[in-house]
Amino acid sequence: MRKLLDWFERETGLISAWGRFWTQPLPPGVGWGHIFGALTLLTLVVLFLTGGALMFYYSPTPDQAYASVQYIEHYLPAGRFIRALHYWAARLIVPLIIIHILRVFFWGAYKRPRQMIWVTGVLLLLTVIGYGLTGYALPWDQKAYWGTVVRLKIAEGVPLVGEAVATFLRGGDTVGAVTLMRFFVLHVFVLSVLVFLLVAWHVLQVRRMGVTPPGVRVNEEASVEKTQRLYPEHTARIAVGAVILSALMIWLSLVSPAPLEPRANPMDTAYKPHPDFYVLWMHELVDFFPPNLEFVGSFVLPALLVVLLLIVPFIERNPERQPRKRLLALSTGTLVLLIIVGLNVKGMEALPEPERLSPLARRGQQVFVELKCYSCHGINGGGGPVGPDLGLGGKRDPEVVRNLLRNPSAHNPHTIMPAYHLSPDKEAALVAYIVNIGPNSKMPPIPPTEPEKPASHFEENWFVNHKFEVRKDPGSCSDCHKPFFCQACHQNRRPSSHDAQWLKFHFGNAAERPEMCAACHSPDYCESCHKVMRHDTRWIQQHGSRLAQFGEKLKWAGQTMHQMCYQCHTPQSCQGCHSGALPASHKVANFLRDPQVGHGKLALKQGAASCNSCHQPQFCQSCHGLPMPHPEGWDSNHPQVGHKNPALCQRCHNFQEETCQTCHQAPPSSHTEDFRKEHPRRITDSGASCQVCHGRNACLNCHKTPMPHPKNWGETHGKLGQQRGWKGYDGVKKLQKAQCATCHDIKYCNQCHQP
Amino acid sequence: MEQRLTRREWLATLVKALATLLAIVYSIPTLVMLVVPAFRRQKNPWIKVGSANEFSVGEPKAVTLSYQRRDGWVIRTVRSTVYVVVKPDGSLKVLSNICTHASCAVRWERSRNAFFCPCHAGYFDAEGKVIQGPPPRPLPEYPHKVEGGLLYVRLESV
Repeated sequence: MRKLLDWFERETGLISAWGRFWTQPLPPGVGWGHIFGALTLLTLVVLFLTGGALMFYYSPTPDQAYASVQYIEHYLPAGRFIRALHYWAARLIVPLIIIHILRVFFWGAYKRPRQMIWVTGVLLLLTVIGYGLTGYALPWDQKAYWGTVVRLKIAEGVPLVGEAVATFLRGGDTVGAVTLMRFFVLHVFVLSVLVFLLVAWHVLQVRRMGVTPPGVRVNEEASVEKTQRLYPEHTARIAVGAVILSALMIWLSLVSPAPLEPRANPMDTAYKPHPDFYVLWMHELVDFFPPNLEFVGSFVLPALLVVLLLIVPFIERNPERQPRKRLLALSTGTLVLLIIVGLNVKGMEALPEPERLSPLARRGQQVFVELKCYSCHGINGGGGPVGPDLGLGGKRDPEVVRNLLRNPSAHNPHTIMPAYHLSPDKEAALVAYIVNIGPNSKMPPIPPTEPEKPASHFEENWFVNHKFEVRKDPGSCSDCHKPFFCQACHQNRRPSSHDAQWLKFHFGNAAERPEMCAACHSPDYCESCHKVMRHDTRWIQQHGSRLAQFGEKLKWAGQTMHQMCYQCHTPQSCQGCHSGALPASHKVANFLRDPQVGHGKLALKQGAASCNSCHQPQFCQSCHGLPMPHPEGWDSNHPQVGHKNPALCQRCHNFQEETCQTCHQAPPSSHTEDFRKEHPRRITDSGASCQVCHGRNACLNCHKTPMPHPKNWGETHGKLGQQRGWKGYDGVKKLQKAQCATCHDIKYCNQCHQP
Repeated sequence: MEQRLTRREWLATLVKALATLLAIVYSIPTLVMLVVPAFRRQKNPWIKVGSANEFSVGEPKAVTLSYQRRDGWVIRTVRSTVYVVVKPDGSLKVLSNICTHASCAVRWERSRNAFFCPCHAGYFDAEGKVIQGPPPRPLPEYPHKVEGGLLYVRLESV
């Protein structure tokens, strides 16, 4: 090993150079204040190390960037820690540089011949800020996306070059894939090369010119005796500082991981980007200027500050380093520092109050995440695009919120929000949280879904268009989602295809693409209706007898078999088959008339419903003129109906006396003892009611003449005798005796005929 | 002078110790993040093939499976085909459709009652055993289970 090192030293001389670098002598005043440059370098090394490790897993494309950061955060061992370390190192390097710069400034260490060390230091500060600005965009969460949009917008405001620079950085006219790749390459390559060169320059120059002896005039440096060395005396201070700094960074990384907001959503206009606290002074500066001069605050003044910093060693030529001999420089520096700090403090006051949650509301926040409310609702952005953003809409009434959760349809009949029936404590917590949400609230951290949502779910209008994707490949939904996932929304709003006619036509769809049904419905969904009736060949052969058998007796989900048929079929649909081919039962000879096997018997046996499975209920009436079979209460009603229209009964019933007598073994109640005498007065319907039982010739049987007497009887009754061949007075007597006397007194004739 | 040298030595030891500590503290999580995931094996999930009673004795039935597979931070939908065979005793067998010879996809030839590999004319019988041709091994069989009337298969890299 030693031989190898010796050989390497002989060939290159690098080992002795390395040794000389570390053993360089330092002036006596160099102490704890001088460790910040080295600590900045250490932080930079940590950033390179962690950044390099992150680069192994990061994918700089908009559809994968966020997923890869989530992968780092949630799936990689130590991934979250490494990312947090990168984040905290990046946050700490800026204050470290500023402390370093202030130390150099107040010690007067930038003075000749070290002016270029100062200049490279300022350039390094700018590069580090550049790292911050580009690294900000890489996680591609909401903050990254909107922050980048806003910053590029600010850059555009700079006159002349602003727009060109912003467009170059953006790589086009919108922030997107090209922008992200540019920011990535700037972050990991361009700025790294720059930083490497500048650090080398900076450090090697310090090595060449030595560390400034504190408080010594510029031209008296040569006389200072150098009492200590970089290694080990000063290195020990640096090492202690490095351990403390590392402990701080590691502690911060463990207790407060790097934030990751929801995935960037360019459509999410509800998102409010908030500036980070260390740029607030710039925001305050901008506020001093009218809108058309905004660039003075956002660009000119910060740029002037940078230029001022760069030229400090060239304008301040005072050779003194003792603070009390450089009052002008120190007071100017202090003034600028105080202005910036003051502006920042003012800006912090304008920041919105951070959200304060009571323990109950905090519990409610967990319930909010647990129930995945965020998949529909945003909180000032960040949620799903379905429901309204909860950050909007002002103060809410707890009672209203509670009722809305329990029954959203009562609030809005068209809503698709499912009703939530929670345990009382969960509900109270959730209500407390929702009431608490205001314009400054933020979406709580959302755990990653497993598996990761595909990129399509973040596309513009995904929610509106998902039905088309479902149609293309319904199986792809069920790969991740359970059938009841669809029903969470669709129990309140059916898919547009499921309209009023849907049940009639669903079978075709279901037969052609069963996977379409399976996308939302569980496999046993069809069975819930179809378990008794599958329309296979067997079913078609048996449906007549099944209908006849079960028609009204069995019920599924409260529906009889006929009602189930009518969900899809109309009575006419039977005729599609049965118009030519009658059902077997109808093929009996004389089906219409035969009392033993004819339709009447069948109808009585199986109930009208079995007729109704093909025929409209009115079908019987078209012949019978009556609901058939005779409706309930017919027994007592039939005399009235029969009296009105006896012909109706006669269509089926043979009105021989014995037909009625099967029931009416005793004469009807109307036929009282004196009925024979009274009946002419009691019969008001021209004898029709008599005919019901007594037949068409009811009157003639006794009267031998139409009763009651037809019109013109006055003129025609005289001819009655002649028709019978009874002539003369005897004939009249005979007629009177044989016929008229049945009802009329002999004297009745004398009312007209004088004897 | 003696004392001063000791102090310098002590400081040098301190520096070396602290530097080593920092190097360890920073490099261990970094290495863990880079090395460990590479050696993690993904557990193969049970994939639903379909209703167990839709397969009948006789002809092997090809089923195209579609399932999600994590590839780093990308979730891919992978499709692959298996043949479900019902043995005469009614038990099921799920066969890969990849020929063991040159990894071509085999298909069921009804006329010969055998799986046929078009690349080098290999033949397998309905249970995947080699009948003729160059394949060195029978068609690989995947583990399967039937739960609640549904057939699941676990695809293993073969």
